[in-house]
Amino acid sequence: MYYGDTLLVNLDTGTTEQFSFDEVGVFGPGLAAGIGLYEKYGDADPLVIGSGLLTGTTAPASCLGFVVGKSPLTGEVAVSPLGLYAGAEVKLSGFAMIVIRGTSDKPVYLWLHDGVADIQDASALWGRDNWETTDAIRQEMGEGLIQVISAGPACEEGSRLASFSIDYWGSGDTAGLGAAMGARKLKAVALRGLGMLDPEDPEAYYEATMEMLAGSPAEPGFGRLSKGLGAGDVDGWLKPMVHRYRSCFACPAACNTFVKYNEPASVLAPDGVDEPGVMVTSAAAALWLMGGGWEAEPACRAMEAMARAGIDQVRGARELAEKPLKDPAGVAAAVSALTGSAAAGWPSSDRVGSGLFGPWVPPLGSPDEWMEAHRLGYLLGICPTYLLTSGIDRGALLGLCGPASGVELDTGRIAEMLP
Amino acid sequence: MRVKVKPMDCTGCALCELACGFHWDEAFSLISASIMQYRAEEKKDYLGIIVKTEEDLFLGRPEGAEAVKLGELQKGGGGGGASAKPILIREACDMCESVGKDPQCVAICPHDALYVE
Ligand code: SF4
Ligand code: SF4
Ligand code: SF4
Repeated sequence: MYYGDTLLVNLDTGTTEQFSFDEVGVFGPGLAAGIGLYEKYGDADPLVIGSGLLTGTTAPASCLGFVVGKSPLTGEVAVSPLGLYAGAEVKLSGFAMIVIRGTSDKPVYLWLHDGVADIQDASALWGRDNWETTDAIRQEMGEGLIQVISAGPACEEGSRLASFSIDYWGSGDTAGLGAAMGARKLKAVALRGLGMLDPEDPEAYYEATMEMLAGSPAEPGFGRLSKGLGAGDVDGWLKPMVHRYRSCFACPAACNTFVKYNEPASVLAPDGVDEPGVMVTSAAAALWLMGGGWEAEPACRAMEAMARAGIDQVRGARELAEKPLKDPAGVAAAVSALTGSAAAGWPSSDRVGSGLFGPWVPPLGSPDEWMEAHRLGYLLGICPTYLLTSGIDRGALLGLCGPASGVELDTGRIAEMLP
Repeated sequence: MRVKVKPMDCTGCALCELACGFHWDEAFSLISASIMQYRAEEKKDYLGIIVKTEEDLFLGRPEGAEAVKLGELQKGGGGGGASAKPILIREACDMCESVGKDPQCVAICPHDALYVE
């Protein structure tokens, strides 16, 4: 269930080309096709952006897209997730997958909309933080629903803490692919898609997803996740500031927690302050700071500062947690002083990810189960955290591939596609 | 009988839009549904749900819900983004009668933020 071509962007020449997308048949769907494309253009060390077979549909938690590239931290190929609405917007953008190679001689951003690809000048955006960049691109295009994957100042500088951001809220890019964007002078990839996805057997697909959704857990907040980890009550810690829980695209759960601290959390009308707070998207960052004895409000302000700057919130929070904050006014200084000394990971676990995948997804289940959730999730476009916390029937999920697009997948084929 | 909204129970998952769009087109997109999220003020976490009927728009705004007659709205209004197909030119809600099903947006909402009254 893809539509549109493969887009090949050459930042050296400032040109784009399109090819028919036939990698699913050759390599498999989702990340298998993404890695296939990465290897095809491997000499140019590209960044590949894509989404899963079911991304953008009524399949539970079908929000997932990805960026594949060489991690500046390890020199190895790595995958970073595109959650929230970004993965679905990739799927609907009119391009099945996007391969970006070369280095621009001036800052640019890529504007992908309804099958049209424009390379835009980003000189005025260089040096600006992710909040300013998202606002500026949306303003320039006159469209408030554009999804912006951006490289904040830490990414431009090639910091070891660099992490691309999705809109205002940071991301699970623990591999430093934001710095790989910055090194190419690629300030952002902006996406807006009004495309349509046609399942091969629409009614069978829809009815099967409705059945799955009816049995899918939908508790808001980080509760299921922190209970599964045996970690502290991060929801209770954030509670006094919680305005609302937010889902990624098509996810019945809603881990993302919007907190307000620049106005009361109870303010509902839109006429209050312009920037009332932050959406907490990283349970790991919140858990590190809570465990480090931080009060929730300065901790959320620190997460905002990291999201603005393009800093990996998990490693940043882990480093911040080592030094309890004495003066709440010192948040900005503490974030500016980060050195990148802490490793990525989750409290009370020494798992740091595996192979292609960083530790964005909590270390639930055995290492094999964790890996299987990644393989399935990145091929189909389903959030691996949801797979691990929902107990969703994976056989039923695999059964969606036929009505989606006639692709038959089983665990054996999945392991071949993503060893 | 119409679809109504408890906006602060909505988490912004878009499943209602997908379900409604599917009942019109047998495909997934965000442009044909009679129900849509208003999510243009992301930094403020301001999120509402709009349902179009033959006569009016039901605006489920966090600060209060109301039905507004179509004639009282400016043309092209109720958008939520310039490239979103404006709600006024979408199909009006038919309570899913055209496909002989219960209201699919209500059935799919994981947070019971939609109901029929
Ligand atoms: S489980 Fe959480 S992170 Fe995963 S898709 Fe759902 S809301 Fe997003
Ligand atoms: S009842 Fe049916 S037609 Fe009306 S908004 Fe819901 S899904 Fe759409
Ligand atoms: S399905 Fe429910 S929670 Fe999701 S966007 Fe619609 S009203 Fe909101």
